[in-house]
Parts: sequence; structure tokens; C-alpha cells
Amino acid sequence: MRRANPITRGVLFLMGDERRQRITIPVFAILLSLIASSVVLLILGKNPMEAFVSLLRGSGILPKEAYAAKKSMLTDFLSLLNAWTPMLFASLSVAVAMRAGLFNIGVSGQMLCAGFIATVTVGYAENLPAVVAKPLVVIIGLVAGALVASIIGFLKQKWNINEVVSAIMLNYIIRYVVSFFVKATINNPSTRQSWPVTASSRLSLMDTELGGLKMDIPLGIILAVAAVILVQFLFTKMKLGFELRAIGGNPVAARYAGVNVGRNTVLVMAISGALAGLAGVTYYLGYFGSIQPDVLISTGFDAIAVCILGNSNPIGIIFSSLLISVIDKGSTYLQSSIGVRQEIGALITGLILLFSACGAFISYLVNRGRQHEEDARKLLSGAGGKEAKA
Amino acid sequence: MADEYIVEMRHITKRFPGIVANDDISLGIKKGEIFALLGENGAGKSTLMSMLFGMYEPDEGEIYIRGKREHITSPNYATKLNIGMVHQHFKLVSNYTIAENIILGIEPKRRAGIFPVVDIKSTNEKVAALSKQYGLEVDPKAKIEDINVSTQQRVEILKMLYREAEILIFDEPTAVLTPQEIDFLLQIIRGLREGGKTIILITHKLEEIKQVADRCAILNRGKLIDILDVASTSTQTMANLMVGREVDFVVDKAPAKFGKEVLRVEHLTVKNRDNFPVVKDVSFSVRAGEIFAIAGVSGNGQVEIADAVAGMVRAAEGTITLNGTDITHMDIRSRTDLGISYIPEDRQNMGLVLDFTLEDNLALKTYYREPFCHKGILNHEAFSQYGQRLIGEYDIRSGQGKDTVVRSMSGGNQQKAIVAREIELASPLMIFVQPTRGLDIGAIENIHRQILIERDKGRAILLISLELDEIMGLADTIGVIFSGELLKTAPADTLTTNEVGQFMMGVKQNEES
Repeated sequence: MRRANPITRGVLFLMGDERRQRITIPVFAILLSLIASSVVLLILGKNPMEAFVSLLRGSGILPKEAYAAKKSMLTDFLSLLNAWTPMLFASLSVAVAMRAGLFNIGVSGQMLCAGFIATVTVGYAENLPAVVAKPLVVIIGLVAGALVASIIGFLKQKWNINEVVSAIMLNYIIRYVVSFFVKATINNPSTRQSWPVTASSRLSLMDTELGGLKMDIPLGIILAVAAVILVQFLFTKMKLGFELRAIGGNPVAARYAGVNVGRNTVLVMAISGALAGLAGVTYYLGYFGSIQPDVLISTGFDAIAVCILGNSNPIGIIFSSLLISVIDKGSTYLQSSIGVRQEIGALITGLILLFSACGAFISYLVNRGRQHEEDARKLLSGAGGKEAKA
Repeated sequence: MADEYIVEMRHITKRFPGIVANDDISLGIKKGEIFALLGENGAGKSTLMSMLFGMYEPDEGEIYIRGKREHITSPNYATKLNIGMVHQHFKLVSNYTIAENIILGIEPKRRAGIFPVVDIKSTNEKVAALSKQYGLEVDPKAKIEDINVSTQQRVEILKMLYREAEILIFDEPTAVLTPQEIDFLLQIIRGLREGGKTIILITHKLEEIKQVADRCAILNRGKLIDILDVASTSTQTMANLMVGREVDFVVDKAPAKFGKEVLRVEHLTVKNRDNFPVVKDVSFSVRAGEIFAIAGVSGNGQVEIADAVAGMVRAAEGTITLNGTDITHMDIRSRTDLGISYIPEDRQNMGLVLDFTLEDNLALKTYYREPFCHKGILNHEAFSQYGQRLIGEYDIRSGQGKDTVVRSMSGGNQQKAIVAREIELASPLMIFVQPTRGLDIGAIENIHRQILIERDKGRAILLISLELDEIMGLADTIGVIFSGELLKTAPADTLTTNEVGQFMMGVKQNEES
């Protein structure tokens, strides 16, 4: 048995044991995807470094060379936060369900449903003051999302209907029903979208003048960060979190331990749906401001990969969702600054999500390599020791 | 010397994080003998044989096969050296037929036109011939999911024979079998020896070794204690060497002091998923300080009785009363709170969340109570103190103490964890289903003692076991179940092992008079 070459050994050493791999594997997946994107950019004849820097510039992480009037790095950064908020909520939504062993693939549908209900109930109420309208939007989003998702949980616990199937079906139902009502009632013929919601109901303060700058201030981000802390608290400190993790680990053992698996299944879907609902209102009544019919946005699906990239851990998800939002937001500037088409941004995102989904495989390779290396090292040192003795 | 041995292991050492699984072990196995490896759980038997089968490589030491030094780097290479292994947990594809499983990986090919196809017809014939030759009767076309455990084991043996294995390793082959099936298996093993095969038997059951083995190596905590000639050694000596101290075969049992009735089951009927009654009109009661044992051949409804009392399955008819409270329709949590401890048959799929830490698993039935939980918030300090105490008191061994992920623990220690958790509940009724299945003598003795201690504390104990010896040794009252019906209930001292055995086979009560 031979030891691996120094490069492999270095990589194996850096990846560390299983505890450390929770961080090193996602980082490694991101590195791989950046390398793969570099290849694409090189084929396009662009300098990859330049492209990555312009992604960061476009999203307000690094300063641009020049800014238009009333714009600055802060403007870009706030606009990044504005886009990030729904993504963070959506990823948390997926994570909560996943920890309990459920796969919520219906986040996009739940977002749309919550966004639509909030839009028609509060979004066009001209006379409602902001202090009433905004909390109302949040509450309606939360409740609507929770109700829709708990249907999935109910179907699962009552008739053991696979949550993936019912969520996908619900996605279709919501998409077509909402599209019908948007087109029939609140359609703006010139934009082919719903009329924009009132400023007082919108969760992002758009084009706000502050210190000589015009900025979009996302109020939802405060809620999103609070949600991260709450979800983390739920799973590390709360009895409910313990029960949900037990169900996720072994539903039979959870039932044997006296956990009410059926009720908790509905409950966890409701929590997941509430977070999806918040993602919906911060998107449709925050970042975007209106509803586009016939479209189910990709946020809820990307969130699944973002959640996996972040190990279904709320803290990890902060980083993984921010990364995806940076690329998403920066890709406009990528096009305007160095002439790489905006879609390349989506391609990089896709590559990251692809590699992150391979995390378990990478982890398997690393652990096998480490075991092999360990065996080889011991064998060699053992043999060496014996020879020395002889 | 070396060439007289077909397998020789010299100075083998294997370490795992936090433990030396094998410490400088040297042994030789002769061609055509049945060589037993005896040791408690975690003694290093399986590790040692896994190295022979190429699943691990030794950290130190050398392996010689037929006098030639070999580096066995993979099970494939071991197969090439004519070494085969039947694992404790079978490795079969459940929706494939027996023949398909046997040829998996080395499929005989033929051509149908331009397409290469698996030649299943000739395989079926070859498998049938092979099974006839060694007396391992199977139907090559039956699917694995439709056949019972002992037939599945025969498939594993055929798999090795099909690959022309000369050295056959059996890892705890009898752990999952009934007494009759064990007898049959031992016969097969003897037949294989007559056929010129070399057999290595990993086990902790002394009677089996006494029955079939020629020589036996005893391992204790990773070290080789001795290699003995089985014919000239008593089981008592082997047991003492294996455990490392004197072992009591006879359970010291004080006379029972029965108290008031704790559990009363009346006219209980339980139906399975196909709405077929698996428990039929069963009635019995268990008093405080009494061990009520249900004897029966596996699959006759005894596990369903336990599940129904614990609340895991619904009672279709009848009532279950605990300390005067009707619990027939109560949920599981309320039953636990009212006083039921339950050690289930399937420890990995029911008794534990394998990916939880040991400390979380030890608190799996109490996490919602004070001091573990206060107003919905967990107290991790309480978890860890409680875990630490139970690990110490019940001698639960693991790599990283209370933070060990239970999946990585040995079966015996997983069982100790469940027993610890359930006994600590201090419930008036304790249900033990197969509490010693797959455990070694030391651990069995320990659990038997614990069951008796709990009985003497005045708990009512419902014991369900397939081991007749266990039932005869522990029970105060015996109920024999056959095909879902309780055929006979009587005080233990009025029944002989033979009588119980007959009832287990379905001989009706009226035939005895």
C-alpha cells in the first residue's frame, strides 16, 4: 500500500475530520464551482478574476469605479439585502422541514399564495397607514403560508401522502389559481403584471432619500435575521426542536418515545410554510412589488440547494443564501461592466448548487481517502518500526 | 509450521479512534477444521475476521493464506483467495430472486442476438444443484422478500459456495435463528466441513461451540486469551476465560413475592395491516413482583402483544388495564407517564434514534420532564449529567462517552443504553422483548440480574423471549403462545422445558390429559 501524493494529502488534511467537514465540504464545493465557472469565462475570452470582482462590485461588497448621482456602494449593498431577504426566509423554510425529515418542495407556491393574499387584502388599501399596513402584511403572509403548507402536513399524517407529490400539485394549483385572479382583477395591461402595491404596505422602503443617497431599505431583513436566531434556538434549545429532530432521525423511535408524530408533522410544515409565507411577502410586497402571472419564481427551488449547501443549519444558511444573492444581484453589473451576459451569473449559481448537491459524495471520497491514508501511514510506520528492531 | 495452516495471522493489531480492537493477535487455522472465535461484544472477533475478509487492513501484523503472505485489500481480493463471509446482517437485494442474488457481481453472460443478457436459466440449475449437494434447500426463483431469515442465511452460504469459497467465515450466524433453525444450521456447518471446507465461526454462544467446533480461540477486550481444544475443555472454563471472571450459569432467584395486579389484558385481539388477527382473544394478568414470560416460536403474535400494551399498535378488541386504569385507547406518552417501560425487539429501528448522541438517546423517554425541560426549553446540563450517570451505572461503553453517535456503538452497548433508559423510568410495568438477543454471556447475565432486581423491587415484568432457557430461568409464570393464541398459562415450576416446547409447537392443552 502506498501513500497518496502530497497534493491529495494536503487536500485531505485541509478537509479535516467529519466535524470540520461541515464547513470545509461546502467551501470546497464552492471552490470547485468557481473553477468550473472560470473555465466557462475563459472560453468566452474573459478574465475570470475580473468577472468575480465585478460580481462583488455589482452587489455592493466592493466599490465600483464610478457611481451615478445619489448612488454609492451602500445603495448597492442595501439592494443586495433587499434581494437576499426572501432567499434567506425560503432557505430557512426548507431547512426547518428537512431537519424533521420532510422535503418542502412547495416553498415557491407557498410564497406566491402568501404574496397574493397579502397583495389583495392590504396591498391596494390606499388609506391604511404604514404602521398598520406593514405588520398586517407580515401577519397575513405568515398565516397564509402556514395554512397552505399545513395542508401538505395534514395529507401526510392522515393518509401518508408523500409530501413531495402533494407539494408539487399544490404548486400547480396555486400558480394557476393566482394567475387567473391576477389576470382577471389586478392586471396592469401595460406591464402584464399586477398593479404595484402601495408604498405604505410595501416591506421595502423604495427610493428613499437618506444622507443625499437614494436607497431601497429592506425592513424584512430584520425579521429574517430574527428568524435565523429563532430557528437556531428551536433546534438547539427547545423541546419541540428535539422532537422534530427525533422524527427526522427515526419516526418510529420518535413515536415509541411518545412523540405525537402526526401533530408534529403538521406543525413543522406550518412553521416551514410560515417562513415561506414571509419569503413570499418580502418578495412580492418587498423586493419585487407586484405579481407576475403564470410564473412560479425559482427562489423556492434554489432554496433547497442553498439549504443543502448550508447543511440545513441556520447559521450556515446565512452564508450560503448570501452567496447566491450576491451572484444573482451582481450579474447585472457583470453584463454592464465587462460585457459578460447576465445569464452567466445564473450559470455560476447553477454550478454552485450542482456541486453543493454533491457534498455527500465529496465527503465520502474524502473520508475514504483519509481512512486509506491512515492505514497506509500506520502500515508503513509499523513496518519501519519492525525493521528497525530487527 | 506455517504450511500446515491454511490461514495464519501473526501479530495483528488494529486500532480505531479511542480503542485497540485487536492487540497483537496471532493464530493459525488448519485446513478442514471448524475454528471458533469466542468473545464478548466488542472483544474484537468481528474486526479480526473483517481483516481476513479484506474490509479493513491491519495496522500491524501479517496475514498468510496457504503459507503465502497476502495483503487482503478488498473483499473482492478475499473472494479471489477463496475466502467467503456470511455477515451478521445479511447483504441481499430484497426484490431479487435467490439465484439473482447469488450471481450478483459475477453474472454468467450469454448473447441474445446482439444483446448480452444474464444467463438466469443455467444459474437456476446450478444453484439448485449446489443447494442439493450441501443440503441447503432453497427455491432459486423465490424472491428474498418472500423468504424467512433462516432461508436468507442459506442464500448467503450458497453465495459463498457459488464463488468457490474454501474458507468460510460465519459472523454470529445463530443470532437471528430459532432453536430448530440453529440445529439445522449446525448440521449444515458440519456438512461443509465434511466437504473439505475450513470454517471460522464467530460466536458468543458456548453450546454451539461445544457442539460443532474443533478448536476455539478466546478473545477478551482485543487480546487473545487462549486457544483451546474444544473437546477437552468445559463450557464453564470457556465462559470464565471469555468474560475474564467467574460466571454464574444458574440465575440466583429469590422466591417471588406477588403483590397486587398491575397489568390486566382481557380478550385482546390485534390485527395486522391486512386486517388479519395476529393476536386472538388473549387474556392474562401480571402482578407486582412477578415475571410473566410469554414463550413461543418467533412470529406467533408475542411482539404484537407487547406493542399493544405499550401503545404502538391498536387493540382491535379487548381491554388493557394498568393499575386499575383502562389504557386501551390511551396514547403512548400517557402510558409511559402512567408507568410502562418498554424494551422493544427491534432496538435499532424502534428503540433508538441512531444519529442522536448517546446522551440524547438516554433521555429519549424523559426529555420533556423536569429537570430536562422547563417550559419547553431544554436543559442540556441535565441531559449530560443524566447521561454521564447512566453510562457509569450501566457500564455503557462507547468511543466518545455521552457524545458518541449511537450508530457507531456496538449492538450490545446499544442494548445496554435502552435497558438503562427503560429501567431508570422506574415504571410499575416493564416489558422486555428479547432483551438479550445478540448479546454475549457477560451482558446476558447482567441483564438477567437487572430483571430480577426490578422484580424484587415489586415491578410487574412482562418478558417475551424466543430463548426457552431464558424463560425457564427467569419466569414466575409462563404463558405459551401459538398462532396468536395463549395456549397455556401456568406457574413456571409446574412446567418442564419439554412441556413448554410442546405447547410452542401448538400441541393443545386437552392432549395432555
